[in-house]
Amino acid sequence: MKKSSQATRRPTGDHAGGSDEILGPNSEIGRKLRAYYDELVSEEIPDRFSQLLRELETSEKPESGGKGAKPS
Amino acid sequence: MSELPEFKAGLVQAIPSLRAFAVSLAHNADRADDLVQETLVKAWDKQSSFEQGTNLKAWLFTILRNEFYSQMRKRGREVQDTEGIMTARLAIHPGQQGRMDLEDFRRALALLPEDQREAVILVGASGFSYEEAAQICGCAVGTVKSRVSRARTRLQELLAISGEGEYGPDAISSQVLGSGVSG
Repeated sequence: MKKSSQATRRPTGDHAGGSDEILGPNSEIGRKLRAYYDELVSEEIPDRFSQLLRELETSEKPESGGKGAKPS
Repeated sequence: MSELPEFKAGLVQAIPSLRAFAVSLAHNADRADDLVQETLVKAWDKQSSFEQGTNLKAWLFTILRNEFYSQMRKRGREVQDTEGIMTARLAIHPGQQGRMDLEDFRRALALLPEDQREAVILVGASGFSYEEAAQICGCAVGTVKSRVSRARTRLQELLAISGEGEYGPDAISSQVLGSGVSG
């Protein structure tokens, strides 16, 4: 019955979500929000990103800092 | 060295969510993809400052958000919002009720102030806790809570939803329509 601070610290990456009841499954706004977002998440990923990651991986080790992938 | 593949895998895994968050902020798919690209490059450069075992997704969202606001400052606040709304309107396919519903929602979302929009997305859709969202936005937990609450109220007004908890057919049809279609 107590409200207490039920989830002060969750393990990282937990998807339990902080939305509580305000945007929970009974909330129409909550459901629309997730429908909107899920559609975006399920879009196909453009090739440019895997290509970019390949380039980053081959260009240099991150610690060495300096040249390479820095945007001007 | 051995952490590299793991880190990279984490980035790859986060790309769909990063794109969704970026589109929600920028209302424009091309700008959103540029934001994600910048985020990946920055994350790669700052790799050594990421603490293993902490939430990589939250870390990446923070970078993306900072990038978005710094770009906004550089460009000044053009008329992107109206642009996004126009695009959304043109994209409506007649006769697809579920989709129409989603377009209405997207337009309503675009009308929210940025701080409210990001808060409601992070907490209501991206699966972050209020605490994580507060960290990503660099503000207090209470601030996130009140932004989420105001956002929800505003969305209800915009979409003229009176009572919460209605279970219309949209929930099902949007699931069905959400899949399919290649492009």
